[in-house]
Amino acid sequence: MNVNDVTRTIMQCRPDAILVSSLGTATSSVRLVTSDGPHFYFGAAMGSALAGALGLAEAVPDRQVVAVLGDGEFLMGASALWSVAAYRPSNLTVVVLADGAYSITGGQPIPAPLHVAAVANALAGTRGVTVSSTTELAATLRAEPTSPDAPGAPLVIEATITERTWPGPSPFIDPAATVRNLRASLAQAPAPA
Amino acid sequence: MTTATKPPTPSPHVPVGLDWQLAIAQELIARGVSVAAYVPDSRLNGVLAALGERDIRLRNLAREEECVAYAAGQRIAEARPVVLMQSSGLGNALNALGSLAVPYRLGIPLIISMRGTLGEKNPSQVPMGRATTAWLGALGIQSFSLRQASEVGPVISGVLDLAFDAGETAAVLLEPELGGGRA
Repeated sequence: MNVNDVTRTIMQCRPDAILVSSLGTATSSVRLVTSDGPHFYFGAAMGSALAGALGLAEAVPDRQVVAVLGDGEFLMGASALWSVAAYRPSNLTVVVLADGAYSITGGQPIPAPLHVAAVANALAGTRGVTVSSTTELAATLRAEPTSPDAPGAPLVIEATITERTWPGPSPFIDPAATVRNLRASLAQAPAPA
Repeated sequence: MTTATKPPTPSPHVPVGLDWQLAIAQELIARGVSVAAYVPDSRLNGVLAALGERDIRLRNLAREEECVAYAAGQRIAEARPVVLMQSSGLGNALNALGSLAVPYRLGIPLIISMRGTLGEKNPSQVPMGRATTAWLGALGIQSFSLRQASEVGPVISGVLDLAFDAGETAAVLLEPELGGGRA
């Protein structure tokens, strides 16, 4: 499974979701798979994307928000998982692209495995699951309720990436375009039923 | 520009003599702030308690960087957050400010309780307090010192104008002269 397999599966299962992508392969892949769709692309600020997704999810409770995070990114802002566990918005799903490397800086290995799904299960306010195929990822996403008032702690999906390739265009996005496009989309899009 | 002209209504959670904390909360509420993301500080307790009494959402996050990023997620959806922290935590927030709030022009209002300045007794607090305005200024973030309760209305309201209308992240510095600091 590569990063684009993950992003494509997310979009197939959550076509109306707003994605929050961290700098690196996540932003590159979301750009490619959604044709620069109206999502919250991080072009820097590594370690901040999960907290950004938490803020966005709470601002748009009638929309599904999926944070797509590199594992290096996740590690830099790991404390945000505890914040998600504290406030547990039911419309937030977290997908960590677990390839064990810092792809954006040349693929240097992350020195210790994250075991993020296990950590999420250890916290009272989040749930964790590990997937290693698009079939498992799709089944996991489709099994989750998506109604705005669905109960339950946010799901953290650790997606095991075995095929490490650069997914798409540059992650050095135009911040102004990101803000403009997402705001325009939020203003126009009716809330999905 | 909206200003708090009426004396604040007493709150059981705001210490006597620290009405500025209540006045800040009332100005934030009057300007439509809907959520406060913060890392705790004793001088922010009264502000946060007064916000909570009015059902403003309170988000005690693990790090100051998270508060800025959380607020960025709120601002990109055009909600009205405020970020509160102690100056000693500003260093934790610099990357999110300089690489997210500023280049995306998301306009985040910051309320920073000052340590390490006038009257500081803890030497380890001094360098970051001394550098606070310089750190912010180096990122192009304007900061405005609040020293008297009578200035709460125009200063808070003016920073909210900069943030929400001009799209400029801007800071209010709660200076020691306001009171409420460590004895």
